[in-house]
Amino acid sequence: MQEAIIPNGGVPSRLRAFLLPWRAARITPLTELTQAARLVPPAAMVATQLALTYWLWHALYAGVRVSAGLDVAQATTYAMLGVLYQQFSTVDRWSNGDTMVQLMTEGTIAFWFLRPVSARRYYLIRAVGDIAYGGGLALVAYLACLGIGAIALPPSWPAAGAALITLVFGLAITYYLHLVLDLICFWSTVNDAAITAVQFATGLLSGAFAPLWFFPGWFRHVSAFLPFQTTLNVPLSLYVGRLPASALGIQLAVQAAWTAGFALFTWWLWRRAAARVTVLGG
Amino acid sequence: MAQGTGRQVVRQVRGFFAAWRLVLRITAANLGGRLQYRGDFLTVLAMGLAWQTSVFVFVAVILTRFPGLGGWSASDVLLILAIRLLAHGVVVTVFNSLLLTPYIAQQGLIDFYLVRPMPVYRQVLLYQFPLNAMGDCFAAIVLFAVAITRLRLHWTPATVVYLAAAVTGGALLEGAVLTMVSILTFRRTIGMSVFMWFDRMIGTFGNYPFSILPLAARAALTYVFPVAFVAYLPAAVLTGRIASTGVPAWLAYASPAAGPLLYVGARYAWHRALRRYESGSG
Repeated sequence: MQEAIIPNGGVPSRLRAFLLPWRAARITPLTELTQAARLVPPAAMVATQLALTYWLWHALYAGVRVSAGLDVAQATTYAMLGVLYQQFSTVDRWSNGDTMVQLMTEGTIAFWFLRPVSARRYYLIRAVGDIAYGGGLALVAYLACLGIGAIALPPSWPAAGAALITLVFGLAITYYLHLVLDLICFWSTVNDAAITAVQFATGLLSGAFAPLWFFPGWFRHVSAFLPFQTTLNVPLSLYVGRLPASALGIQLAVQAAWTAGFALFTWWLWRRAAARVTVLGG
Repeated sequence: MAQGTGRQVVRQVRGFFAAWRLVLRITAANLGGRLQYRGDFLTVLAMGLAWQTSVFVFVAVILTRFPGLGGWSASDVLLILAIRLLAHGVVVTVFNSLLLTPYIAQQGLIDFYLVRPMPVYRQVLLYQFPLNAMGDCFAAIVLFAVAITRLRLHWTPATVVYLAAAVTGGALLEGAVLTMVSILTFRRTIGMSVFMWFDRMIGTFGNYPFSILPLAARAALTYVFPVAFVAYLPAAVLTGRIASTGVPAWLAYASPAAGPLLYVGARYAWHRALRRYESGSG
């Protein structure tokens, strides 16, 4: 198949052949942007969520100057960035019939194993497209919030850099968590419960519901042993200055360990999953 | 003449009970279907419980960190949360399948529903057994028990009736919103996010006394998105804090009626919209 794509075997052709499958990354953005009406509800939703989050945290801090090591600007910034992360870290593929559980129940998962791109790579390409699309929207919302002064800037350039690096690793861990959930479908056909479980865990233990610093010590100790807090709490804590930029090394090591562990685990899962694809009972 | 009217009444009563028997049989069959995936069943059950408990934990954390929220004591805030969770438990039990209308419409199932001898709306409600309702309801009842043991309310028959009306009204209000949003699926492809918008808004902000919010936010959550009518206003009436709500006393007292009124309007809108339904198959 590769030979057919690369008639001369030259470097440009090889590069083109390598990049060609990445056109699939455009599927989600194109699907969303060609139905512009679908952009309105999420835009309205994120605007109301951000406004209410801003008001809520300012109201909570009305009689308090510092709580859990966070002042009002830090807590509000953390909570609002958490809203953006929750809103844009995943894209709703369900209404397009494009979730893993729908592919499994409708049998169209078979096409993933008939293409000249491996199923594992295709999944990665689609996920990168989703993250790029969601990230673009999140960036627009972030800049708008920054422009009106609702969100504060990081305390320093090193803090900003540390937050950005850990965010990249956080997104990688989120990607692997979703991949594990989707691969469960190869064994259980449905993954609704697992998705609910991880949504719950991600929302609560990552700090998306509320900054983890407000929770009791035992809760934070438990969450430190789980991957969820590395996805959001770490980058946001570095961003608002609750964690010093000097903590980057240790945080990065933890994130790298989780990423490597998940990469190995999902590599093994993909091999097992590909060997047991069941389409419509056959 | 009187005999004919009597027979007609008997026929209507029989028809009513026959319809309910059919609803129960379909529900039992749906439950049986969900029980086929036992792992999924147990996880959904546990997650419903964990999800609602996390809301309680979060509010407890906030109340500990920021005491005297808008002049409301912790037990009074717990009453808001208890009413909201009880109403939400009813919503999940009865109206949960409305969330699936994008999928139901996309699969062309509405076409089948239109030719069956049962109202389309009822068939949509019976589409799937809401497993998560069990966990949600259990958590809500436990929280309610905790709230009433801490509240120093003077319980009279009128108080109990008002509380029951508040929970029913809150559930119908949420049901009305879901019904109105589901109408959109008759003409367009919409995602789950539209449904989740109001759900998340109530889930995030419906647990606090709105007196902590600025006037604009309070007005928006009362008169534009009627979140205040779900739990905040009824709780203000029960705890004698109507003055702090900023709404006329008669409106606060009548707040449980908002749900039924909106629900009747939503059902009428559904009925009208169904006439203009456009099948997914053209």
